[in-house]
Amino acid sequence: MELGSLQRRYIDFTTALFREGFLDNQYTQLQQLQDESNPEFVLEVVTLFFEDSEKLLDELSRTLDQQVVDYKKVDAHVHQLKGSSASIGAQRVKNVCMAFRNFCEERNQEGCLRCLQQVRQEYFLVKSKLETLFRLEKQILAAGGSVPVLW
Amino acid sequence: MEEVEKREEGRNDGMLEGGVEVRVLVVDDSPVDRRMVEVLLKKSGAMFQVTSVDSAKRAMEVLGLSEDKTKSPVVDDQKVDIILTDYCMPEMTGYDLLKAVKEQSCQKPIPVIVMSSENEPQRINRCRAIGAEDFIIKPLQTNDVLRLRSYARTGLPPPPPLSSSKAGTKRKMTIELMAESGGGGSERRRPRLTGLAMA
Repeated sequence: MELGSLQRRYIDFTTALFREGFLDNQYTQLQQLQDESNPEFVLEVVTLFFEDSEKLLDELSRTLDQQVVDYKKVDAHVHQLKGSSASIGAQRVKNVCMAFRNFCEERNQEGCLRCLQQVRQEYFLVKSKLETLFRLEKQILAAGGSVPVLW
Repeated sequence: MEEVEKREEGRNDGMLEGGVEVRVLVVDDSPVDRRMVEVLLKKSGAMFQVTSVDSAKRAMEVLGLSEDKTKSPVVDDQKVDIILTDYCMPEMTGYDLLKAVKEQSCQKPIPVIVMSSENEPQRINRCRAIGAEDFIIKPLQTNDVLRLRSYARTGLPPPPPLSSSKAGTKRKMTIELMAESGGGGSERRRPRLTGLAMA
Protein backbone atom coordinates (compact mmCIF):
# COMPACT_ATOMS: atom_id res chain seq x y z
CA MET A 1 0.00 0.00 0.00
CA GLU A 2 1.17 3.49 -0.82
CA LEU A 3 2.64 5.54 2.03
CA GLY A 4 0.05 8.32 1.95
CA SER A 5 -2.88 5.95 2.28
CA LEU A 6 -1.10 3.97 4.98
CA GLN A 7 -0.67 7.15 6.98
CA ARG A 8 -4.29 8.17 6.40
CA ARG A 9 -5.42 4.74 7.49
CA TYR A 10 -3.31 5.08 10.62
CA ILE A 11 -4.82 8.46 11.46
CA ASP A 12 -8.39 7.22 10.92
CA PHE A 13 -7.81 4.08 12.91
CA THR A 14 -6.19 5.86 15.85
CA THR A 15 -8.84 8.59 15.95
CA ALA A 16 -11.56 5.93 16.04
CA LEU A 17 -9.86 4.08 18.89
CA PHE A 18 -9.94 7.20 21.02
CA ARG A 19 -13.42 8.20 19.93
CA GLU A 20 -14.81 4.76 20.73
CA GLY A 21 -13.19 4.78 24.13
CA PHE A 22 -10.81 1.88 23.63
CA LEU A 23 -7.89 4.13 24.49
CA ASP A 24 -7.67 7.28 26.58
CA ASN A 25 -5.19 10.05 27.23
CA GLN A 26 -2.92 7.76 29.21
CA TYR A 27 -1.99 5.98 25.97
CA THR A 28 -0.96 9.35 24.56
CA GLN A 29 1.27 9.81 27.63
CA LEU A 30 2.98 6.54 26.74
CA GLN A 31 3.57 7.72 23.19
CA GLN A 32 5.03 10.96 24.47
CA LEU A 33 7.51 9.06 26.62
CA GLN A 34 8.86 7.18 23.60
CA ASP A 35 11.95 8.70 21.99
CA GLU A 36 15.32 7.82 20.45
CA SER A 37 16.63 6.51 23.76
CA ASN A 38 13.48 4.39 24.27
CA PRO A 39 12.38 3.73 20.67
CA GLU A 40 10.25 0.68 21.51
CA PHE A 41 8.83 1.92 24.78
CA VAL A 42 5.14 1.74 23.88
CA LEU A 43 5.46 -1.73 22.41
CA GLU A 44 7.44 -2.85 25.45
CA VAL A 45 4.95 -1.63 28.01
CA VAL A 46 1.94 -2.83 26.04
CA THR A 47 3.54 -6.26 25.71
CA LEU A 48 4.02 -6.35 29.49
CA PHE A 49 0.35 -5.46 29.79
CA PHE A 50 -0.66 -8.31 27.47
CA GLU A 51 1.38 -10.86 29.42
CA ASP A 52 0.22 -9.62 32.80
CA SER A 53 -3.43 -9.45 31.76
CA GLU A 54 -3.61 -12.93 30.30
CA LYS A 55 -2.08 -14.33 33.43
CA LEU A 56 -4.63 -12.43 35.54
CA LEU A 57 -7.56 -13.55 33.38
CA ASP A 58 -6.52 -17.18 33.83
CA GLU A 59 -6.20 -16.68 37.58
CA LEU A 60 -9.61 -15.07 37.68
CA SER A 61 -11.22 -17.99 35.85
CA ARG A 62 -9.60 -20.41 38.24
CA THR A 63 -10.54 -18.49 41.36
CA LEU A 64 -14.16 -17.95 40.32
CA ASP A 65 -14.47 -21.61 39.43
CA GLN A 66 -13.88 -22.79 42.99
CA GLN A 67 -16.64 -24.31 45.14
CA VAL A 68 -16.11 -21.59 47.68
CA VAL A 69 -15.02 -18.40 45.98
CA ASP A 70 -12.30 -16.35 47.66
CA TYR A 71 -13.59 -12.88 46.82
CA LYS A 72 -10.59 -11.19 48.38
CA LYS A 73 -8.38 -12.98 45.91
CA VAL A 74 -10.68 -12.14 43.01
CA ASP A 75 -10.68 -8.50 44.06
CA ALA A 76 -6.90 -8.43 44.31
CA HIS A 77 -6.56 -9.74 40.74
CA VAL A 78 -9.15 -7.33 39.38
CA HIS A 79 -7.44 -4.49 41.19
CA GLN A 80 -4.18 -5.36 39.48
CA LEU A 81 -5.86 -5.62 36.08
CA LYS A 82 -7.56 -2.30 36.65
CA GLY A 83 -4.24 -0.73 37.55
CA SER A 84 -2.31 -1.94 34.56
CA SER A 85 -5.09 -1.17 32.09
CA ALA A 86 -5.30 2.34 33.55
CA SER A 87 -1.54 2.72 33.19
CA ILE A 88 -1.56 2.05 29.47
CA GLY A 89 -4.84 3.80 28.73
CA ALA A 90 -7.01 0.73 28.00
CA GLN A 91 -10.10 2.59 29.12
CA ARG A 92 -12.82 0.05 28.42
CA VAL A 93 -10.96 -2.70 30.22
CA LYS A 94 -10.44 -0.39 33.18
CA ASN A 95 -14.14 0.49 33.28
CA VAL A 96 -15.28 -3.13 33.37
CA CYS A 97 -12.79 -3.73 36.20
CA MET A 98 -14.46 -1.02 38.22
CA ALA A 99 -17.86 -2.69 37.90
CA PHE A 100 -16.21 -6.05 38.56
CA ARG A 101 -14.86 -4.82 41.90
CA ASN A 102 -18.34 -3.79 43.00
CA PHE A 103 -19.61 -7.32 42.40
CA CYS A 104 -16.68 -8.67 44.38
CA GLU A 105 -17.62 -6.49 47.28
CA GLU A 106 -21.19 -7.78 47.10
CA ARG A 107 -19.85 -11.34 46.82
CA ASN A 108 -22.07 -11.71 43.79
CA GLN A 109 -20.79 -14.73 41.88
CA GLU A 110 -23.09 -14.33 38.91
CA GLY A 111 -22.18 -10.67 38.58
CA CYS A 112 -18.52 -11.53 38.80
CA LEU A 113 -18.76 -14.21 36.15
CA ARG A 114 -20.55 -11.80 33.83
CA CYS A 115 -17.85 -9.21 34.38
CA LEU A 116 -15.15 -11.76 33.76
CA GLN A 117 -16.68 -12.53 30.42
CA GLN A 118 -16.98 -8.84 29.62
CA VAL A 119 -13.47 -7.95 30.71
CA ARG A 120 -12.08 -10.81 28.70
CA GLN A 121 -13.99 -9.57 25.65
CA GLU A 122 -12.80 -6.01 26.08
CA TYR A 123 -9.24 -7.15 26.66
CA PHE A 124 -9.05 -9.22 23.48
CA LEU A 125 -10.68 -6.42 21.53
CA VAL A 126 -8.17 -3.81 22.63
CA LYS A 127 -5.34 -6.29 22.15
CA SER A 128 -6.34 -6.86 18.56
CA LYS A 129 -6.76 -3.12 17.96
CA LEU A 130 -3.33 -2.37 19.38
CA GLU A 131 -1.74 -5.12 17.33
CA THR A 132 -3.30 -3.60 14.21
CA LEU A 133 -1.95 -0.22 15.24
CA PHE A 134 1.57 -1.56 15.69
CA ARG A 135 1.32 -3.36 12.36
CA LEU A 136 0.34 -0.13 10.61
CA GLU A 137 3.25 1.69 12.24
CA LYS A 138 5.63 -0.98 11.04
CA GLN A 139 4.26 -0.78 7.51
CA ILE A 140 4.62 2.99 7.46
CA LEU A 141 8.21 2.81 8.64
CA ALA A 142 8.97 0.05 6.13
CA ALA A 143 7.60 2.26 3.35
CA GLY A 144 10.15 4.88 4.41
CA GLY A 145 7.66 7.23 6.03
CA SER A 146 7.15 8.51 9.55
CA VAL A 147 4.29 7.67 11.86
CA PRO A 148 1.85 10.62 12.13
CA VAL A 149 1.92 12.29 15.52
CA LEU A 150 -1.60 12.93 16.71
CA TRP A 151 -0.83 15.01 19.78
CA MET B 1 9.43 -14.50 40.85
CA GLU B 2 11.43 -11.74 42.42
CA GLU B 3 13.67 -9.48 40.47
CA VAL B 4 15.91 -6.51 41.00
CA GLU B 5 16.59 -4.29 38.06
CA LYS B 6 19.20 -1.60 38.14
CA ARG B 7 19.31 1.01 35.46
CA GLU B 8 21.67 3.93 35.20
CA GLU B 9 19.66 6.90 34.06
CA GLY B 10 20.48 10.50 33.47
CA ARG B 11 22.22 12.75 31.05
CA ASN B 12 25.31 14.90 31.20
CA ASP B 13 23.37 17.97 32.23
CA GLY B 14 23.29 16.42 35.68
CA MET B 15 26.77 17.95 35.92
CA LEU B 16 25.07 21.31 36.47
CA GLU B 17 23.83 20.07 39.80
CA GLY B 18 27.18 18.87 41.02
CA GLY B 19 26.82 15.47 39.38
CA VAL B 20 24.90 14.07 42.31
CA GLU B 21 22.82 11.10 41.35
CA VAL B 22 19.66 10.44 43.25
CA ARG B 23 19.26 6.75 44.03
CA VAL B 24 15.63 5.72 43.83
CA LEU B 25 14.24 2.41 44.96
CA VAL B 26 10.98 1.66 43.15
CA VAL B 27 8.76 -0.95 44.79
CA ASP B 28 5.79 -2.21 42.77
CA ASP B 29 4.36 -5.63 42.07
CA SER B 30 3.07 -4.55 38.65
CA PRO B 31 5.65 -5.00 35.85
CA VAL B 32 3.77 -2.44 33.73
CA ASP B 33 3.95 0.23 36.42
CA ARG B 34 7.57 -0.51 37.28
CA ARG B 35 8.61 0.08 33.67
CA MET B 36 6.49 3.24 33.43
CA VAL B 37 8.07 4.73 36.53
CA GLU B 38 11.57 3.86 35.37
CA VAL B 39 11.11 5.69 32.09
CA LEU B 40 9.36 8.63 33.73
CA LEU B 41 12.31 9.01 36.08
CA LYS B 42 14.76 8.79 33.22
CA LYS B 43 12.90 11.37 31.13
CA SER B 44 12.41 13.85 33.94
CA GLY B 45 15.83 15.33 33.17
CA ALA B 46 17.24 14.73 36.61
CA MET B 47 20.01 12.25 37.38
CA PHE B 48 18.30 9.22 38.79
CA GLN B 49 19.81 5.85 39.46
CA VAL B 50 16.85 3.50 39.56
CA THR B 51 16.62 0.14 41.26
CA SER B 52 13.26 -1.57 41.03
CA VAL B 53 11.92 -4.55 42.95
CA ASP B 54 8.64 -6.37 42.75
CA SER B 55 7.89 -6.79 46.45
CA ALA B 56 8.23 -5.01 49.79
CA LYS B 57 10.05 -8.04 51.12
CA ARG B 58 12.68 -7.70 48.40
CA ALA B 59 12.89 -3.98 49.15
CA MET B 60 13.68 -4.77 52.78
CA GLU B 61 16.52 -7.00 51.63
CA VAL B 62 17.92 -4.32 49.32
CA LEU B 63 17.74 -1.78 52.14
CA GLY B 64 19.44 -4.14 54.53
CA LEU B 65 16.52 -4.03 56.93
CA SER B 66 15.60 -6.98 59.05
CA GLU B 67 12.10 -7.85 60.21
CA ASP B 68 13.43 -7.64 63.77
CA LYS B 69 13.16 -3.96 64.67
CA THR B 70 15.51 -4.20 67.61
CA LYS B 71 18.39 -4.80 65.24
CA SER B 72 19.68 -1.58 63.69
CA PRO B 73 21.29 -1.80 60.27
CA VAL B 74 24.94 -2.77 60.68
CA VAL B 75 26.15 0.14 58.62
CA ASP B 76 24.41 3.51 58.80
CA ASP B 77 25.22 4.13 55.17
CA GLN B 78 21.97 4.42 53.30
CA LYS B 79 22.03 2.76 49.94
CA VAL B 80 19.00 4.63 48.70
CA ASP B 81 18.03 8.32 48.65
CA ILE B 82 14.30 7.92 48.05
CA ILE B 83 11.84 5.06 48.16
CA LEU B 84 8.90 5.16 45.78
CA THR B 85 6.48 2.43 46.74
CA ASP B 86 3.10 1.16 45.63
CA TYR B 87 0.56 0.90 48.42
CA CYS B 88 -1.35 -2.24 47.43
CA MET B 89 0.94 -5.22 47.23
CA PRO B 90 0.39 -8.83 48.28
CA GLU B 91 1.91 -10.14 51.53
CA MET B 92 3.71 -7.01 52.63
CA THR B 93 2.04 -3.72 51.67
CA GLY B 94 3.59 -0.36 50.93
CA TYR B 95 2.23 0.80 54.25
CA ASP B 96 4.11 -1.98 56.04
CA LEU B 97 7.28 -1.04 54.19
CA LEU B 98 6.82 2.64 55.01
CA LYS B 99 6.40 1.76 58.68
CA ALA B 100 9.52 -0.42 58.70
CA VAL B 101 11.63 2.28 57.04
CA LYS B 102 10.46 5.04 59.39
CA GLU B 103 11.01 2.89 62.43
CA GLN B 104 14.68 2.56 61.62
CA SER B 105 16.78 3.63 64.53
CA CYS B 106 19.39 5.42 62.43
CA GLN B 107 19.52 9.21 62.44
CA LYS B 108 17.65 10.00 59.28
CA PRO B 109 15.10 7.62 57.79
CA ILE B 110 14.92 7.55 54.01
CA PRO B 111 12.15 9.65 52.42
CA VAL B 112 9.25 7.47 51.32
CA ILE B 113 6.70 8.41 48.71
CA VAL B 114 3.64 6.20 48.42
CA MET B 115 1.80 5.57 45.13
CA SER B 116 -1.74 4.33 44.79
CA SER B 117 -4.49 4.12 42.21
CA GLU B 118 -7.04 4.90 44.92
CA ASN B 119 -7.56 8.51 45.97
CA GLU B 120 -8.67 7.70 49.50
CA PRO B 121 -8.19 10.48 52.07
CA GLN B 122 -8.12 7.93 54.90
CA ARG B 123 -5.32 6.02 53.23
CA ILE B 124 -3.39 9.20 52.51
CA ASN B 125 -3.71 10.35 56.13
CA ARG B 126 -2.60 6.97 57.45
CA CYS B 127 0.57 7.19 55.41
CA ARG B 128 1.34 10.78 56.31
CA ALA B 129 0.70 10.04 59.97
CA ILE B 130 3.61 7.63 60.05
CA GLY B 131 5.91 9.87 58.08
CA ALA B 132 5.38 9.40 54.35
CA GLU B 133 6.78 12.45 52.57
CA ASP B 134 4.14 12.41 49.87
CA PHE B 135 1.36 10.40 48.29
CA ILE B 136 0.93 10.19 44.53
CA ILE B 137 -2.10 8.95 42.61
CA LYS B 138 -1.48 6.52 39.77
CA PRO B 139 -1.00 6.54 36.87
CA LEU B 140 2.06 8.67 37.44
CA GLN B 141 2.70 11.74 35.31
CA THR B 142 5.86 13.65 34.52
CA ASN B 143 4.95 16.36 37.08
CA ASP B 144 4.85 13.76 39.82
CA VAL B 145 8.41 12.58 39.32
CA LEU B 146 9.75 16.11 39.00
CA ARG B 147 9.10 16.63 42.68
CA LEU B 148 11.01 13.55 43.78
CA ARG B 149 14.43 15.09 43.56
CA SER B 150 13.55 17.72 46.13
CA TYR B 151 12.79 15.05 48.71
CA ALA B 152 16.25 13.56 48.39
CA ARG B 153 18.11 16.81 48.90
CA THR B 154 19.16 17.97 52.31
CA GLY B 155 18.75 21.60 53.20
CA LEU B 156 15.71 22.16 51.03
CA PRO B 157 12.49 22.89 52.89
CA PRO B 158 9.90 20.15 52.38
CA PRO B 159 6.97 21.00 50.10
CA PRO B 160 3.73 21.90 51.89
CA PRO B 161 1.68 18.82 52.77
CA LEU B 162 -1.17 17.72 50.57
CA SER B 163 -4.57 18.72 51.87
CA SER B 164 -6.41 15.45 52.40
CA SER B 165 -9.79 17.15 52.03
CA LYS B 166 -9.28 17.36 48.29
CA ALA B 167 -11.40 14.34 47.58
CA GLY B 168 -12.08 14.99 43.94
CA THR B 169 -8.64 15.97 42.78
CA LYS B 170 -6.56 13.32 41.19
CA ARG B 171 -3.42 15.41 40.90
CA LYS B 172 -1.37 16.75 43.73
CA MET B 173 -0.88 20.49 43.68
CA THR B 174 2.20 21.24 41.63
CA ILE B 175 5.08 22.50 43.72
CA GLU B 176 6.29 25.11 41.26
CA LEU B 177 9.06 26.27 43.55
CA MET B 178 10.50 22.82 43.96
CA ALA B 179 10.26 22.07 40.28
CA GLU B 180 12.18 25.23 39.52
CA SER B 181 15.11 24.44 41.77
CA GLY B 182 14.92 20.71 41.28
CA GLY B 183 15.08 18.72 38.11
CA GLY B 184 14.45 20.20 34.72
CA GLY B 185 11.35 18.77 33.12
CA SER B 186 10.83 18.35 29.46
CA GLU B 187 9.11 21.73 29.41
CA ARG B 188 12.19 23.59 30.52
CA ARG B 189 15.43 23.02 28.70
CA ARG B 190 18.42 24.15 30.69
CA PRO B 191 21.27 25.74 28.73
CA ARG B 192 24.30 23.51 28.37
CA LEU B 193 26.74 25.70 30.25
CA THR B 194 29.34 23.02 30.75
CA GLY B 195 29.95 22.75 27.03
CA LEU B 196 30.97 19.15 27.16
CA ALA B 197 32.86 18.19 24.06
CA MET B 198 31.34 15.31 22.17
CA ALA B 199 33.79 13.22 20.25
